[in-house]
Amino acid sequence: MILEVRVFGGLEKLIPGASFGRPMQVEAAPGTTAGGLLDLLKIPEDKVFTILVNGIHAEKGDLLKAGDRVAFFPPVGGG
Amino acid sequence: MAKILRINTSTRQLKYEDLPEKYSALGGRGLTSQIVFDEVPATCDPLGPLNKLVIAPGLLSGTNAPSSGRLSVGGKSPLTGGIKEANAGGITSQKLASLGIKAIVLEGRPEGSDWYGVKITADGAEFFNANDLAGKGTYEVTAICRERYGTKVGVITIGPAGEMQLLAAGVTNNDGDGNSSRYAGRGGLGAVMGSKRVKVIVVDSQGTFDAPVKDPEKFKAAARKFAKILADNPTTGIGLPNYGTNVLMNIINEAGTLPTRNFRLGRFDKAGEVSGEKLAEVAVARGGKATHACHPGCVMRCSNVYPMPDGKVCAPIEYETAWAFGPNLEIGDLDTVARLNYICNDVGLDTIETGCTLGVLMEAGIIPFGDGQAAIAALEEVGKGTALGRVIGSGSAVAGKVYGVTRVPAVKGQGIPAYDPRSCKGNGVTYATSPMGADHTAGYAVTANILNVGGKVDPLLPDGQADLSRNLQIATAAVDSTGLCLFVAFAVLDNPEALPAIVDMINAQYGLALTTDDVAGLGQQILKVEREFNRKAGFTSADDRLPEFFHTEELPPHNTRFDVKDEDLDSVFNF
Repeated sequence: MILEVRVFGGLEKLIPGASFGRPMQVEAAPGTTAGGLLDLLKIPEDKVFTILVNGIHAEKGDLLKAGDRVAFFPPVGGG
Repeated sequence: MAKILRINTSTRQLKYEDLPEKYSALGGRGLTSQIVFDEVPATCDPLGPLNKLVIAPGLLSGTNAPSSGRLSVGGKSPLTGGIKEANAGGITSQKLASLGIKAIVLEGRPEGSDWYGVKITADGAEFFNANDLAGKGTYEVTAICRERYGTKVGVITIGPAGEMQLLAAGVTNNDGDGNSSRYAGRGGLGAVMGSKRVKVIVVDSQGTFDAPVKDPEKFKAAARKFAKILADNPTTGIGLPNYGTNVLMNIINEAGTLPTRNFRLGRFDKAGEVSGEKLAEVAVARGGKATHACHPGCVMRCSNVYPMPDGKVCAPIEYETAWAFGPNLEIGDLDTVARLNYICNDVGLDTIETGCTLGVLMEAGIIPFGDGQAAIAALEEVGKGTALGRVIGSGSAVAGKVYGVTRVPAVKGQGIPAYDPRSCKGNGVTYATSPMGADHTAGYAVTANILNVGGKVDPLLPDGQADLSRNLQIATAAVDSTGLCLFVAFAVLDNPEALPAIVDMINAQYGLALTTDDVAGLGQQILKVEREFNRKAGFTSADDRLPEFFHTEELPPHNTRFDVKDEDLDSVFNF
């Protein structure tokens, strides 16, 4: 299945050729979880603080489905 | 001895008073709100002689408690008609605290057309004629004062917008580099200062960490512990220092709660272009800084220094401002955002309010959405004092009335900040109910709604939002009294050791024996005082509501409306 993936806040530096916010089309096996997608992208799990799937909070164990918009963030804050 | 500097602008008399015993455990917002409540008639004209402008450093300001240099400015707001505390960084709070000044109270209103300055040193305070500074922007005023009195001075000033008593005018002071950009921006307190015909207050003191501390050893231990807590927390130790507040842009956009096109949409396709990541890239490439401290001793250093194409520097561009002039206006160009930000700093306007106002003008078709040059041209009218400029400087609610717009994002007359209340409903509760009018900092539910800090509450559902907002509003009122930056809350919410460390610092400084329960008590007391002032000023529960369109229009991508029940909103202050 194809996923639309975005990474932010410095995580893009962990993926060759990536830039923050630019959508990446990633091929993943059906049954891939959010955590599994991190493994696929070689992003260490401890670097990721927030996962949004289609704008909704997700956990590393949550299953992804084809076409999902997935975003990974390190710790962020402000106001 | 702690003292209050009382400045009567009618008689031009200045006097120091000993701090009354009943104020001894108050500082920052707790002190400004209490003095306003005690001394300002709630029904007075905010721009008349009976209103007062109260400036107070926080309880811990002037010590080496990390990130403790925040300044509170209070009064009756000409924008909302209610009580107001606006909070700023910059170097002046620590200087005032180091001089033993707990509060400056500007009162009265002079006759005539002269402008005045006040200079404060360790030897006392005096008026001076400031006619030569009138009409000048805040950057120039600050530069002149630094040239005259030395580069170490703290300069509290207003721009032409404040002189014109425009309702969105703020009160600014400078950072260590002399940037006049650290605003107590919200609620029009610059207009109150302008009504007193005080253009500038110069605080000439070398002291930064010289506030008296009763038990230095105990204080040092608590401060060290608190610094480690901030350094170890992912948000305050990593997130904020790396990219600053504007790192929020992308996560708020992804979460679908980034107000776009005057609150019609929850995502902006060019959000990344005005985000913290982009800002860091451009700032560093141009010789600026991705990270910068707004006052000495801040460990989070969430500000930045953004060099603009014209050679000037906008320092900082904060998330709220990047949103107000970016997605809110459908502008996806950081240089345009920086220019709008700089003009506001210089002419003396609150950036959030001004962004909301320009959004209303775009809604009205006066200028097109997305047209940065038109927005800049419109904003430049403020300094010229034209009719359009005065409308822009008077805030979103006034602009809505002038141009017949009903989609005005404001509560109690104050513009709504950078999180749409339909998909960040906890913040919606805060906007509706805070005594300050729509204010994101007053109860920052983005924490549990979006950032997974201090628990998790689904941002799209109404459940639990009133409780979340209540607890945050209480905690915030207390934090705003300490002089600590509100961002320490990210660590306080997640680390049970943090609040006791803060209490230990306060106790060591003042020789008190407060407990953590007293901190919640302080927050509740402040909110009660502020609510009571507003009640006397004529506010009712009808004022604790969001504008109609948030209930009737769905916000994409989640297609939600604001559906927290009125009775839940009315329960927020049940304590």
